[in-house]
Amino acid sequence: MTPSAPLLSANGVVKRFGSITALDGVSLDIAPGEFFGLLGPNGAGKSTFMSLVAGLRPLDGGVLTVDGAGVAAGSTKARQALGLVPQHIALYEDLSAEGNLRIFGELYGLHGAALRDRVSHVLEAVQLADRGKDLVKTFSGGMQRRLNLAAALLHKPRLLLCDEPTVGVDPQSRNAIFDYLQELNRAGMTVIYSTHYMEEATRLCSRIGIIDHGRILALGTIDELLTKLPFDEEVRFPATPDTAALAGKLAANGELATVDGIHRFRPKPGFPMSSFYMLTEELGLPPRLFTSQRPTLEALFLQLTGRVLRE
Amino acid sequence: MNSILVLVRKDFSLFLRDRTSIVLTFVVPFALIYLMGQVFGVNSSSPGPSGIPVAVVNQSDNPAAARLVDALKAEKTFKVLTQFVNDDKTTRPLAEEDLRPLMRANNFRFALVIPKDVIRVDGIGIHLKTYSNPRNEIEAQTVIGILQKTIFSRVPELLGQSLQARARAYLGDERLDQFNSSVASAVAGAFGGDTSTIKADMSEGELGLRRLGGDDASAPAQGDAGVFSRIVRVDNVQVAGTGVKSPAATLLVGGWAMQFLLFAVTASATALFSERDQGIFQRVLSGPVSRADILWSKFIYGICLGLLQLVVLFFAGHVLYGIEIGGQLGLLVVVCVFAAAACTSFGMLIAAVSPTPESARGIATFVILLMSAVGGAWFPVSFMPEFIQRFSRLTLVYWSVEGFSQVLWARATLAELLPTLGYLALITALVMGVAIWRFRKGRIFE
Repeated sequence: MTPSAPLLSANGVVKRFGSITALDGVSLDIAPGEFFGLLGPNGAGKSTFMSLVAGLRPLDGGVLTVDGAGVAAGSTKARQALGLVPQHIALYEDLSAEGNLRIFGELYGLHGAALRDRVSHVLEAVQLADRGKDLVKTFSGGMQRRLNLAAALLHKPRLLLCDEPTVGVDPQSRNAIFDYLQELNRAGMTVIYSTHYMEEATRLCSRIGIIDHGRILALGTIDELLTKLPFDEEVRFPATPDTAALAGKLAANGELATVDGIHRFRPKPGFPMSSFYMLTEELGLPPRLFTSQRPTLEALFLQLTGRVLRE
Repeated sequence: MNSILVLVRKDFSLFLRDRTSIVLTFVVPFALIYLMGQVFGVNSSSPGPSGIPVAVVNQSDNPAAARLVDALKAEKTFKVLTQFVNDDKTTRPLAEEDLRPLMRANNFRFALVIPKDVIRVDGIGIHLKTYSNPRNEIEAQTVIGILQKTIFSRVPELLGQSLQARARAYLGDERLDQFNSSVASAVAGAFGGDTSTIKADMSEGELGLRRLGGDDASAPAQGDAGVFSRIVRVDNVQVAGTGVKSPAATLLVGGWAMQFLLFAVTASATALFSERDQGIFQRVLSGPVSRADILWSKFIYGICLGLLQLVVLFFAGHVLYGIEIGGQLGLLVVVCVFAAAACTSFGMLIAAVSPTPESARGIATFVILLMSAVGGAWFPVSFMPEFIQRFSRLTLVYWSVEGFSQVLWARATLAELLPTLGYLALITALVMGVAIWRFRKGRIFE
């Protein structure tokens, strides 16, 4: 492999479950050292994509390689190259933290001093060194999540797959997990992080793919993605009788939505915001009623995936 | 192979941390084996039921009737009640009219009345009357059978008296006296003895049957020592198990151990569901571990656990009931391995065909109890109806218990064991084959 070659490459990947097409021709490349976010609502296909990368399910179409090796063939090279942090707490709760890590380490061929060193190292890294002998079932949810992450790192994978790894975690543990993942990424580890939390993706990911209904809808850095929004600014103001006239005049000049009693106005291209503020002055509306926001990832996400409730 | 061994060790680590599983695997079967051993009198010096309350009302003044009561009292099967306890705690002999109310009050379920006309004059035989309120057929037949045995083996003169009475009815006193005199004289002439004593004995019904059965009327009846066993001699040649101390214990330990082994390995196999639900398969299968590795690890773990459990319980049987395993340990281990493999494949099949762990437990409980019952884990297959016996031979429990008996009771050689081992291997292969096919079709690893 050359340094510029992608560590993960998906080309037209298809996965079906009966009549349902969970992944419908997904194509993307992830370069070594990237922190890639896979963003999508529930049921979008994130976990299915992760499970295909991890070699847990066969592909129904397309090609998927990790480190140049096809994962569909169950390649040892591909498996050794990746570590999976499952969505569930995939640990034996009746065993100690060290006991769990020893088992998972041995499955990757670690033994003796090397295994002991790695177990100590990852426990230290997730701040559980003092709880190594304790049974997992005595851990809090956050501690279990941290150990869940540690178990995927024992064999020093080049590619770490994190499938919604912070579900149900307290803010302190979430921060600890974020810090550690960023540290790993800075050290050169490639991370694919699936989530439906915008703030996680915004904080962590250098590049993001938005997926829904099994298709990649948008792909790029956050700045690149935000340019896809057809507005530069969003103005919010209360939906009251006083602002009804303003709302009526704005409707022709952009997108006006009302959510929870708040008007959200996104001007169409070419409509200068100075015109908007002139209108407010004409109608005698005080400036304190209005707040202005730059485009956000959430706005893009909702624009691409819609506002209809999932599940 | 390393992955399989790691997963096997993982299963043992989890097992050793689960006290409930340990208790269910070793302690509960041990306790049940001990309890059942006591219930069925395994290795007891006087096996069989004992202390069944039987009321006896003796209305006869015949001395033999009193001896019958004494013989019944000496019989350990019975606890003979002859006294009625009044309200003021004084006692009097039981009367026949006491029996019904006392039986209705469940003071006893069987009663024997020896009537005044115990010696029938209208035919050959003696006249007795029994009252019964049998709670179950086996108990009733046992009591009546032992009553008959005691009467005819311990008080045979009653039969003799009956013959004398019948002869008297046909011949009259004078001609019977002449007949007895002639027979006594002939016996004394041929075998020695005093003619008048022999004649007196004959008149009282003592026709020598007592001497056939032994002279100690107060001794408990002991089966082969009875009078009829002297009349009809049966020489029994035991072809297997000569000198083996406890054949019943072999069945007891083997049967119960198999039943609990089936529960243990089924629980282990159904743990596949929880490992799937916890996402552990995702983690493990994303590494250098295959689905086959996981199934093989479960299979090997089941065999190891089963071997351990069976050997431990047979050692317990050795301590409790003297099952002799010393010289046969190697073959016993071989049978245990094959039996454990068959049990494990059964557990895998249950996990493979069940949609949920709850349904797996339900199916397993039903099938294990059914298979244990018809496979001979609880009582010998020969006690069952013929069509069930045919079904028994389709169960792994039957062939496992058969294997244990062959090794520990018949002291079979490896060559003699091969057919039984072959059946167990065949069952294992078939059941495991279906299980693997179902696992491939199912979604337990997704």
